[in-house]
Amino acid sequence: MSSTNSSQSPLIQVKNLVKTYPNGVRALKNISFDVYPGEFLVIIGLSGSGKSTLLRCMNRLHEATSGEIVFKNEDITKTPSSKIKFLRRRIAMIFQHFNLIPRHTVLSNVLMGSLSRTATLASLFKFFSAEDNAKAMQYLKLVGIEEKAHIRADQLSGGQQQRVAIARALTQGPEVLLADEPVASLDPATCHNVMDYLNKVNKELGITIVCNLHFLSLVRQYATRVIALKQGEIVYNGSPKDISEDWFRKIYGEDAREVHVN
Amino acid sequence: MRIKTQIFDSIIFGFLFVGSIFLVRPPSEEELLNLPMNTMVTLGCLALGFALSLALNQMGIKTLGESIFEPPHKKAQNTHSWYKTFWGWQMLIAFLAAFSAGIWVTEFSITEILSEEGFAGAQRIFSSLLTPNFEILPRAVLAITETIFMAFIATTFAIPVAFVLSFLCAKNIMGKTTPGLILYASLRTLLNVTRSIEPLIWAIIFSVWVGIGPFSGMLALLLHSIASLAKQYSEIVECVENGPIEGIQSTGASSLQVLWFAVVPQIILPYVSFTIYRWDINVRMATVIGLVGGGGIGTMLIQYQGQALWNEVGCLVLVIAFVVWLMDTGSAYIREALK
Repeated sequence: MSSTNSSQSPLIQVKNLVKTYPNGVRALKNISFDVYPGEFLVIIGLSGSGKSTLLRCMNRLHEATSGEIVFKNEDITKTPSSKIKFLRRRIAMIFQHFNLIPRHTVLSNVLMGSLSRTATLASLFKFFSAEDNAKAMQYLKLVGIEEKAHIRADQLSGGQQQRVAIARALTQGPEVLLADEPVASLDPATCHNVMDYLNKVNKELGITIVCNLHFLSLVRQYATRVIALKQGEIVYNGSPKDISEDWFRKIYGEDAREVHVN
Repeated sequence: MRIKTQIFDSIIFGFLFVGSIFLVRPPSEEELLNLPMNTMVTLGCLALGFALSLALNQMGIKTLGESIFEPPHKKAQNTHSWYKTFWGWQMLIAFLAAFSAGIWVTEFSITEILSEEGFAGAQRIFSSLLTPNFEILPRAVLAITETIFMAFIATTFAIPVAFVLSFLCAKNIMGKTTPGLILYASLRTLLNVTRSIEPLIWAIIFSVWVGIGPFSGMLALLLHSIASLAKQYSEIVECVENGPIEGIQSTGASSLQVLWFAVVPQIILPYVSFTIYRWDINVRMATVIGLVGGGGIGTMLIQYQGQALWNEVGCLVLVIAFVVWLMDTGSAYIREALK
């Protein structure tokens, strides 16, 4: 898969990315890699290796300290703040803790994906266009919970909430989906269910996915390419099949043992 | 850290020095009123305290200030029992000194409490209070209605103002830019000053401004409510979870949309709960404000009390107690249900 991709031109080019937090923590130290269209790129690494920071730099939730992130010929680290909403519409994101609005209904949460297209005043009174409503229902159907549309989001299980988050992201009409540890707070069975939906989004809708993961067994099953981060640096970039025992130890430390999720 | 320690210890030691001077050479009435002189003595004592605290630090003796303001990792190492430490005794002596000074200043007297003559006077008032004159009940009911509505209108007008102010007074919203931080700090200071001036004083100011009556009382309550609600509201805003905010931000929403969809749903219930509580507090405050001509049942109360008509006062006190109990219970039930 990765060999076919590399013949295409990259969708996102990360060049010499550095992120130093105000407290002096160097989360990313000179990271460079490419993301190709249609990839399911997985980023692995220990907690604190900089995975979340990396994703948040890619949609400007965090500001990079230096370096470039080129998305379709535009260096998005320099996108003016007035244009960031257009950038975020095209690069959607889902989170470990789903980050839904608990007191709103499922449908209302999914409609949040249309906020950037809706005039602020109209959106405050939840006047979303019929088209946006139809789109929201369509994506709820895609993740298989359209029957829960009018239930409050906090009534759903973790896996269902993550699927709502996926539907919200899809409603934005994105080209890229960033997934920050999407299954880290789910049980193993639900884990696969959510990963399957992400796979569907990737394969059926052709949306490029950049996903942070913990479990190597999931990586082997879903990723088309893997990047491993260790203390803010890339230590592996290649096919998931080639991650050997030695590589594993290098990424996770000498004493690490692989845990399988079935 | 260092400077906080020094200031704290200087005050404690300075206070003990001033107290010792009082004991050694009790000042005359005339001397007590000599403010410049007393200021000099107090400052001198503080300076002495400062010197003593510095000296103790040099000798490596841990003072109370040091043990309070030292960093957490050092606190964890303290294993001595308090009575084996210098700071423990410093605390005990400072407390005992303050306690004895307090007893003396408040003219605490067991004999006066047990004096038969005084007790008989109090008993007379009490027995009148306990046999209320219900003839004025119709007027009392009208007056307490006025009080309740004063509190209601003050609360209602305070809500939108406090709502907007609460975001401007929340550090997590305003703390990201320098102009924001300046606005945050100045608004906080302004509200703190407003809040620290008692509504009673505001009522006096407003009764000169708009005339004696319920309107001036309402304005006083309004001002106090805005300051209190804005502070309580902003503390809720400061506790919101970041997750939903990131979630909405990541969809490309504008700042106003993020505020409305990610912040407001998290704060709305505590807001309602605090607002109901504020109304409850305002009913009680409106009664007090009435005493200085702010209208409502407080005004009625001061009239009858001034004429020593204790049976009528008894009726008013009963009405007030009943309404306060009703509001208190009701608001507690509603707030519990909203959690």
